[in-house]
Amino acid sequence: MKRPLAPRLTRGILLAFFSAIFVMYVFGPVAWLVSSSLQTEAQITGVPPNWLPPTPSLANFEAIFAASDRVVTYENRQAGEALTSTFLPSGAANLLPAMRNSLVVGAWVAVLNLLLSVTAAYAIAVIDFRGRRATLYVALATRVVPDIALVVPLFLVIRNLGLINSLGALVVTYLAITVPFTVFILISYFEGIPRDLYRAARIDGCGHGRALWHVYLPLSLPALVASVTFAFLTSWNEFVFALVLTQNVAAQTLPIIISGFIMDFTTSFSFVNAAGVIAIIPPVLMAVVFQRYIVSGLTAGAVKG
Amino acid sequence: MRLGYDERSAAVLVFPVLAVLLVVAAFPIVYSFWVSLHDIVLTRPLRRPFVGFDNYLRIFDDARFWTAVSRTTVYTVVCVVVTTLLAVLVALLLNEVFPGQRLLSALLLVPWATPSVVNGLMWKWIYDPTYGLLNGLLVQVGLLERYRVWLSDPDITLLLIANAAIWKQMPLAALLMIVTMKAIPEDLYRAARVDGANVWQRFVHVTLPALRPGLMLVLVYETMISIRHFDLFLIMTQGGPGDASFTLSWLIYVETFRSLRFGTGAAMSYVLAITTFALSWAVIRFLGKRL
Repeated sequence: MKRPLAPRLTRGILLAFFSAIFVMYVFGPVAWLVSSSLQTEAQITGVPPNWLPPTPSLANFEAIFAASDRVVTYENRQAGEALTSTFLPSGAANLLPAMRNSLVVGAWVAVLNLLLSVTAAYAIAVIDFRGRRATLYVALATRVVPDIALVVPLFLVIRNLGLINSLGALVVTYLAITVPFTVFILISYFEGIPRDLYRAARIDGCGHGRALWHVYLPLSLPALVASVTFAFLTSWNEFVFALVLTQNVAAQTLPIIISGFIMDFTTSFSFVNAAGVIAIIPPVLMAVVFQRYIVSGLTAGAVKG
Repeated sequence: MRLGYDERSAAVLVFPVLAVLLVVAAFPIVYSFWVSLHDIVLTRPLRRPFVGFDNYLRIFDDARFWTAVSRTTVYTVVCVVVTTLLAVLVALLLNEVFPGQRLLSALLLVPWATPSVVNGLMWKWIYDPTYGLLNGLLVQVGLLERYRVWLSDPDITLLLIANAAIWKQMPLAALLMIVTMKAIPEDLYRAARVDGANVWQRFVHVTLPALRPGLMLVLVYETMISIRHFDLFLIMTQGGPGDASFTLSWLIYVETFRSLRFGTGAAMSYVLAITTFALSWAVIRFLGKRL
């Protein structure tokens, strides 16, 4: 049944209008960041601003990737001209190692988070044992404490263990952030899988290990993808713990190096913006590619109420 | 007592998670309480006397603490209210079926996935007084006569930081609202139409009541998140200008890592943690009845 033309037209115009506002709000700031990263220092300091790069160039990105070959000395730092975008902060060479650290930590967190969460979620969702609910509540309760409140004691604990400035300390810390939420998501997913499948598997002689491997895991692929993405993103984006638990480029992650640039007054904006774009690409790409899984994963708990 | 196969398996499967949480979450929380009862200053490592609850009492005599409480309150209220309103509006848009709706839903995840450090950098660059997009845009459109400072204006700096935070946390709230909206049976709208309700009446009498569980979740979650924000404050203003963005989490950071007074820092952390907990509990109790 087609409704009359006039209301449909009004609806179309309203939708287009609000969609345009939505895109400008959600994507505008990022577009501006990308646009500035493709301009030279002289171009981004134009008044009024250049909305689009007059001569798009990847020079800022090349500078980042070539930074480790350059030795920054007092002389060439003085000689570097701020307005030609050839000016590099002394920490520029740390960007690539930091990116590697971010990737390594993110990969470990994604893998270990999945291993730990899948087993725990299976036990809580499927096996009937005393204290199953209590286990979940204890895990979730640890996330009520603000990060900044955890930072102080965690710093002391990690320092006493002699693990300050190590990637391992970051991995373990991030697991404490991601595991409670992942367990929560996976439990609600596992509970949606018909219990008859589990009974049939047990009658056929499967133990818990094989029931998990052959029945539950193949059926929960979306939730597993969501867990991996969520864990990697959390780890890649985390800032406070990395700031306190790391001291130099051996363990510092990308956000720490970039925040150092931001607070360094002499750093050129075009360079920092390019670094920001590099940090934004992996998580945004993952989020958009796995959009469907992430949305169902993030909202899994909410639907049940 | 002998445990059955089920219980033994459960113990083995749950143990690793509990072990990690014990070392990196539970123990630090308890340890922090012990620290908060001692006068620990890192520049004086050998003398760390037990002082009982003195650290807590000292906080309440500290003028900075009350400044921080008022800044945090303003910031949190703005973040929670605006995020929730925007989330409902975005959910109303994305709940419609129209060409391009899927693309918009994908774009919605961009702010959510953006690292908070880059979020801070991006908005700091937008607010830049000489080269920023905000000045450029407002002057070109004619809403502003000449370039002005943004983050350095103590009257609006909290709101500008809140704006950056809202941009990042609105998507998750919107997703939660969309899921709640999708669960509303179409019959309710049909019945309302038959009764002659217009768009606005349908929203107020059908959509809004049905959004209650989603709204609860968003309000509690956003309160817990906003009250503890730290990253943006470090990157954008460092508590300034003056004390205009001096919030509780910034105070904890300064006390601990700049003044190196771990005892009072831990006590402040406890005050913030307990406040967060109490607030979310109060929101659940209060709104659970009202909404």
